[in-house]
Parts: sequence; C-alpha cells; structure tokens
Amino acid sequence: MSTNISHTPAERLRDAGLYAPGDAVLSVRDLNVRFNSENGVVHAVRGVDFDLMPGKTLGIVGESGSGKSVTSMAIMGLLPETADISGSVRFKGKELLGLSDKAMCKHRGNDIAMVFQDPLSSLTPVYTVGNQIIEALTVHNPTMSKQAKEARAVDLLRMVGIPSPKDRLKAFPHEFSGGMRQRVMIAIAIANDPRVLIADEPTTALDVTIQAQVLEVLHTAQEETGAAVVMITHDLGVVAGMADDIMVMYAGKPVETGTVEDIYYNPRMPYTLGLLGAVPRVDTATKQSLVPIEGTPPNLALPVTGCSFAARCPLVSDACLHGEPELFSVPGVEGQTLGHKAACIKSDELSGNADAHRIFHAPPKPVSKFDGVARVEREKVLELKDVKKHFPLLKGALIKRRIGTVKAVDGLSFDIREGECVSIVGESGCGKTTTLLEIMEFHPDQVGEVVIGGVSNKVATDHKTTMAMRKEMQMVFQDPTGALDPRFTVYEVLAEPLENLGMPKAAIRKRIMELMKLVGLQPDHVNRFPNQFSGGQRQRIGIARALAVNPKLVVLDEPVSALDVSVQAGVINLLDKLRAELGLSYLMVAHDLSVVRHISDRVAVMYLGKIVETGNVDDVFDNPRHPYTRALLSAIPVPDPNLERTRERIILQGDLPSPLDAPKGCNFATRCPVFAALPAAKQEKCLTLEPPLASEKEGAQDFACFFPDGEIDADMLVVHA
Amino acid sequence: MLKYLMKRSGIYLIMIFLTTSAGYFLAVSSLKPAVLEQEKIPRPTPEQVAASFRGLGLDPDLNPWERYIQWLGGIITRWDWGRSPNGAFVNAEFADRVMVSTRLFIASIILTLVIGVALGVYSAARQYKFQDRVITSYSYLVHILPAPIAYFLVQLGAISINEAVGERIFFVTGISTPGIEPGWPAFVDLVAHYAVPTFAMTIFGWAGYQIAQRQYLLDNVNADFVRTARAKGLTRNQAIRKHALRVSFIPVAQSIAFTIPAIFTGGFFAEAIFAWPGIGLWSIQAISLQDVNVATATLAYGSVIFAIGAILADFATTLVDPRVRVQ
Repeated sequence: MSTNISHTPAERLRDAGLYAPGDAVLSVRDLNVRFNSENGVVHAVRGVDFDLMPGKTLGIVGESGSGKSVTSMAIMGLLPETADISGSVRFKGKELLGLSDKAMCKHRGNDIAMVFQDPLSSLTPVYTVGNQIIEALTVHNPTMSKQAKEARAVDLLRMVGIPSPKDRLKAFPHEFSGGMRQRVMIAIAIANDPRVLIADEPTTALDVTIQAQVLEVLHTAQEETGAAVVMITHDLGVVAGMADDIMVMYAGKPVETGTVEDIYYNPRMPYTLGLLGAVPRVDTATKQSLVPIEGTPPNLALPVTGCSFAARCPLVSDACLHGEPELFSVPGVEGQTLGHKAACIKSDELSGNADAHRIFHAPPKPVSKFDGVARVEREKVLELKDVKKHFPLLKGALIKRRIGTVKAVDGLSFDIREGECVSIVGESGCGKTTTLLEIMEFHPDQVGEVVIGGVSNKVATDHKTTMAMRKEMQMVFQDPTGALDPRFTVYEVLAEPLENLGMPKAAIRKRIMELMKLVGLQPDHVNRFPNQFSGGQRQRIGIARALAVNPKLVVLDEPVSALDVSVQAGVINLLDKLRAELGLSYLMVAHDLSVVRHISDRVAVMYLGKIVETGNVDDVFDNPRHPYTRALLSAIPVPDPNLERTRERIILQGDLPSPLDAPKGCNFATRCPVFAALPAAKQEKCLTLEPPLASEKEGAQDFACFFPDGEIDADMLVVHA
Repeated sequence: MLKYLMKRSGIYLIMIFLTTSAGYFLAVSSLKPAVLEQEKIPRPTPEQVAASFRGLGLDPDLNPWERYIQWLGGIITRWDWGRSPNGAFVNAEFADRVMVSTRLFIASIILTLVIGVALGVYSAARQYKFQDRVITSYSYLVHILPAPIAYFLVQLGAISINEAVGERIFFVTGISTPGIEPGWPAFVDLVAHYAVPTFAMTIFGWAGYQIAQRQYLLDNVNADFVRTARAKGLTRNQAIRKHALRVSFIPVAQSIAFTIPAIFTGGFFAEAIFAWPGIGLWSIQAISLQDVNVATATLAYGSVIFAIGAILADFATTLVDPRVRVQ
C-alpha cells in the first residue's frame, strides 16, 4: 500500500467514524450488511462511508450486485430482520441504525423518503392514488384536517405534473401509465418535505422520453423541497447532469468517490475507467469499439483477500492480490466535499489522460468486406413492402363488438442490404416488436409483402419455402435466461437447429466447437447447463444458436438490454466482429439509442406503427428532422457532466395516445413540440393531412413532417443552467 | 349493476337448464327402478310394475326423449318435479331436505371462513415460528384425514364427555328430540343437537382457507407496494395489515364463493354420520334407489347453488378489487 498519500487529521477522524461534518444531513460510516444464505454469509455491503450535504445530490453508480440498493435499504431500515447491519447511519447527527421498526417510522417518509425502481408494482393496486398520498400525510401529521390533506395531495400531484389533479385523486394506480405512477411515487416521497430523498433506479423501467419527464420532476421536487438526493443508478448518463458527487461501487464497496468532474474527467480506478469506456455515446459518431471488462464480479459469500476488481483488471499485479486497497485521497486534486478518492494502488498510473481503450485492450474496429461497396450495389437480404398489422379492439363478453382498431404496424416499408445493421427505435407500444413478429410470421395471408433472401411470403405456401427462409434468418432474444431451455446442455441447444437441417452427427460436433470459439466461449464448456453461465455468456450462447445454420440475416430483439454495462460492451463488440467476419446483416430492435448509434448503419424511428424518420444513422442522429426524433435524441442522457448541464432538452408532454383516439392527420400532433408552437392555420394542416415519408434532398434521410424547421414550443424546452 | 346481474343470471339459467337436461337423460337411461321392484315379495309381474310406474309418470316403455318431454312439461306447467318410484312427490320432500342441509351447514360455513382466514393471517405474520408451525401442520394433517373418520372421532369425544359427566349433554346424531316443549327446552335441545356436527365440520373445515390465506398473504408481504407503505412511515405490521391483507384476500374471496356450493351438495358424509337427512344424502340415496326424478332434482339444486356461488364470487371480487369493473 502506498505510504506517500497524505491523510489530514479530519480525514483520519472521519475514517474512524468519529468525525462528520456538522452540517451533513446524512452521514454513513463503515456500513456493512451481511445476509445469511444457503451458500454461507454473503457480505453484500462492505464499508460504505459518505456524507450528504443539504440540497446536494450524490450519485451511487454500480452494476447489479454491487450493493448500491442494499445500502439504500439499510439506510431506510427496510432490510429483512435477518440481515446483519453494522456501522453507523446518522441523520442530522442522530443514529438511525439499531432503532426499532416503530422508532424508525418517525423518520421514514418524514425525514428520509424513497422512490423505488418499478412504478408498476410499487403502488397498492386496491387503493386510490389519493388515498395513498394522504396516507403518507396522515402517518406523520395525525392532527391535519381532511380538507387540508386533500388540498395538499392536489398540490403534490400538480407539482409532479399530473393533469387535472383533483379528479385524478380518485383514480386507481392501474388507470395510470408507468411514467405517471412514478410521478405519484415522487409525490408520495416529497409529501412531508423530507430532508433526504433516495431514488433507487427511478427511471430504469421507463422509456427515454418518459425518463426525461421523470428526471425533470425529480429536479423540480428537489428545488421545491430543498432535499438532498441520493440517486442510485447503473446508468452513468442519468447522474451526469444531476449529481454533485459520485460514488462508484463494486462488489459491495465504494471504489472511487469524488465530484462528478473528478469521476467523469479524471477517473483513477480502472473499474471506473472501464465503465466510462464501456458505454456507447449517442452524441458522437466515433466508430471505435467499446471497452470490454472481461469476467464477472466476485462471489461475496467468499472472503475477499485482495482487490475485488483484480480478477478483471488489466493492470493487475501481485501487490493487488494481497490486502484489499482502501479509499485513499488521489494526490493533486483536493477540495470539494468528499475529495477525490480511489481504492486502487495504481491510481497514480491513471492520472492524466489514461486511455481506457488501450488499458483494457479494446479490439480494433472490425472491417467488413462490404464496407467499401456502395449500398445500392449490395444485395437485399430483407425487404418489407407496405406491411400492416391491425388488431381489432373488441368489447363485450359474449357478443363482441368492434369499437376500434389498434394499428400496431401501419404500412411499413424498408429494406436491409448485405452486411448492414438496421435498427428500429421508438418507445414501447410503437410497434417495434410487432414488426419483428410480422417478419418471423412469414405467411401468405399477411397484409403486405415480406421478402427474405429473395423469397417472398406470398409464395411461402409450403413447408419447404418456410424452412429455406428460416435458414436465411435467425433471431436473438432479449432475455438470454428465458430464451434457453434450462434442461438442455449448451451442446443440445446448439445441436437442435443443425439436427433440423439433417446434418450428420460428426459434422454437428465440429460445427458446435466452431461456434463456441466464434462467440468467445470455451469449447469444453458445451456440456454445461445454461444456469452455469453468466448473463453475458448466456447471450453469447443465444448468438451461437442463431448463427448455427449460417444465416444471412440475424434479428436482434433488444440483445443487450438485460445485461450490465460492462458485460454489454463485450456482447456489442462480439456482434460487431461477427457482422464484419461473416458478412451478416442485422435487424435490431433496441430502446437504448446509444447502443443503436454505436452498432447500426441505418435507423428507422417508429411512432404509433409508422416510420417517422429513417436514414443513415449519422444523418438521423446528427441532424434529426422529425420533431419526435429530435425529442427522443434530446431525452437521452450523455455521460458527460459539462455537456449534460447545458444541453437543451425537449420534454414531451404526456404518454403515447390511446389507439382509440388516434389523430386523423399526423400521429404525433398530440405531443408534438413544433405543432404546439404553430399558428392555428398551419396546425390545421397537421391535423387533417398525413405527412408523407420523403427526403428533402437526394441522399439524406426520409422523414414524415410538414414543418421540420418549426420552432419548438418554449414550454417543452428545458435547459438547466 | 342490476343489468349485469340480469345478464349473468340469464346465462346461468341457460347453463342450469342444459346441465339439468343432460343429467335427466343420463339418469333416465341408466337408472332402472323396475329392477328393484323385482325384489318385492310377492314378486309383481312386469306388467304390474309398468302400470304402477305409468301412474307415477315413470313409464318405462317410453323412450328417453318422450319421458324428458313429459317431465319438462310437468315442471313448466305445474312446477311439478315428478315422483319417486314409491309414489312420493319430489316437491313435497325437497323443501324439507334443503332446510335440513342449510341448518346443518350454515353456522359451520361462517365459522370455518372466519377462523380459517384469521388463522391464515396470524400464521403468515409469524412465518416459521412455533405458532405458524403448529397451525399449518394441523391444517395439513386435517387435509389427509378422511372426513368420516374425523367426524367419528368427534362423536366419540362427545360421547365420552357425556359419560364423564354422567348425563347426556350432547346429541351425536339427529336434528331434535321428538315431542319437546317449545320455548327454552326446545332451544337447549337444538343447541345440544347442533353443537357436535358444527364443531366437527368447523375444526376439520378451516384448513383449506388457512393454508390459502397464509400462502397468498406471504406472497404479498414482501411485495413492492408493502415496501412503499413502509417507506412512507408505516410500521411493518401496519403496512401488512393495510396493504398486503386486502390484496391477498382477492383470490381467497373467489375461492370462498366456490367452496360453499361444494359443501352444500357434497356434505353427504356429514349428513349420513350425524343423521341429518339433507339434500346431499338424498342425492346419494336417489341413485341407489334408482330414482330418476330425485336424482335430477338434486342435480338441478346443485347447479343453482353453484350459479349463486359464481355470482357471489364476482361480487366479492368487485368488492375487494377495484381493478375489476362490473359491466
């Protein structure tokens, strides 16, 4: 351990748990949480220290299993009684650990409040929203009159941006969308003006445009109440613009703490550096491969002897394996509330402009044989012509009446050429998945034509044609765990498609070994079951299965959204490599636009079953023309604090409209920021005519909007200076 | 609401009609009362049997369809559910039988429900503690104990109490003592007859509710919305009582409505063992006596009770779960 690191007296006292800044609202010292499990004692949180100043925001960043949520639950006293918690959690100097459930209740919801991850399950389904808000008021203000409580609930709902709050008090949670429910959760959390607000992945379950709305509400809530916020997230973009300080957690321990600038611009722990390099950026066109962090986090049921990151660290040396490094001040950069600290004995080596790509040996960007060929000269592997899928909306129990139509996919036309990746993006409910299902369906009775590898669905009347199509196109699914039969060994999983083709046994064996190597798995692991692999490895198995029959086109349905950031990078790099080496084409559906930008050549933005903008990925992302694309792109947080703080953000109002009151003209008019600012005469055009999908000039992207250069309505534009 | 009730009742009426008709055809083609007549001494001739049955509306020479029309006509025009082979009118006995069954079961149904749900909540709140282990083990034990044996054990217990006291406190069989004076003595007699079967059916009946309520509540104790309630400042017990309990009661409410008809129509063990000649016992006897009309009538009664149960289940669900709207 390096001895040249200076320790101020205040810091030494602080580390001993004796001293905390007097004005901190929340001081956590040496917090440890252990759970008894069947595999022994799991040490989930191992010594967390932080001080939270009034009105400040602390971002806790980490991957799943890093102990960030357990830390927050320990602070709230919401862990099960069987959890062994030690250390100190002080609220304004008063110790909270060890308080009984009843004593803790005086603080919960009053001094410290919390917003949880999944808004769909976090509200009680059988009580009205108003009832649940008022309950939070009643618990801490038993003398408050009924009228006063109701008035306060209406105020709170208005504050979090719920339209006609008075009527909505009587609504039940199921009558709200996910974003609205998260607003209600925030309203409940701030009901008693708490001093500390803990938000545990508050936007992870939401669409990007809704995420932007909710982050905005959180921002307002913090301004209104002056509360200090602890923001827990795995997304480095979300906290970049919000947080003052960041704590990066790994394997239950903080491995780097500092101000946002320290962490984002001067990371001193290889893990932080890797994380920052592992996230693709939505705002830049650099086509570098991502930084992969190989391996998996350590098992916390076993004692940690060295640095917990050593097994995955490219800079590892013998010294790292003996004794776990503590958080030490990084020399040179002093100041701020926390000071910049890193738990790495090599943090000095990382000073200056350490290049994550070099340190983590990021592979070079693979080059495909198609890269030099112009797009029009490549063959079409998939073509959709005016594909439609309309679902009737029925009502009635015995005799069904048609009361409307859900136009899930409404006249979709696009093509995919050899060697390219086309992505479909849009919010949930826009028809992305239905499009994939329509392509996989491949039946003559479909509305519209699907041509795969030159075979049209209109002639797919026999089994042989469909089989030929399946050989051309394969699919990789979102949830790698659900997509693999748990009772099949990897060998059986990969052999199944080959057996269907009637391949001889010896050839199958050879092909499987090839596939394992191709996707970066050890060939001698073929006899293992899926549950013996990590999430990233399982997704690699899913990719190997898709590639088994040598398809030309692979359909990727949210291929990395279930994976942690560091693992995601490895899978994305693999997909990139396979496309170049095997000359594959991809059709990808993803909600993460950063991933889309990184991996795709072309992109199609969908809204309510229609493509609203499509073209080369760089054209669309650098110069979006359709107001929806503009809003979508501006809603994505970027892991760059300085940029994030000054960015203009278009916050769309409301949710996707119900298909029953779908507008007659432009689908997007009801939420459009340009439409809202148009004079009534021009609005008329949007409401009556449907804008065609066309490009302005040769070679540029197609978009469907009459007023692409229109002003954005000032109410929907937000800048935090 | 009324419109919904009418609609549902209409649908169930059609279903009752169909099941009853199907039951009638099954009964008329499989039950042959003439066989039993052959055991009488002196043995009647087939002609005599046919003639006597013809008088009762049970003409064995007609084909099932003709008999069905005859039977249905009697119900529609005169509300006459036909006669037994011994000449008794179904209508005359029916009401008495239903009354006996209702009196026998009503108290234990209510007690079973209340005790079962309460114990379910109590044991869920003390999961894996001593009390929970005792209560839940008892429930599983009762589940594997056949009802006749359980009832006999209770009867034996009551008899030994009587013997220990030296006086007959409890009656282990029968509905009432004949010729008892009205007023207080009649009431005491009623309680003495009522106590044993009600006690037996209750202590062996709540197991299902207890296990279901415990399970559903435990499923909800760690739900996200309970955590939200605790984060607001409710204690763990308050949060469970107010938020988890009601949600966990939704599936139990549905099952209650469907178990009630099963008790009414399937309670023949209790009726036989405690000698309360109710509708369940009647339906079993009807089959052994080759009695087509009684068998069909009890089946129709079962269908009606089941329909009422189903409507009650809908009601109960709407009452506790606002997500379900009646329309």
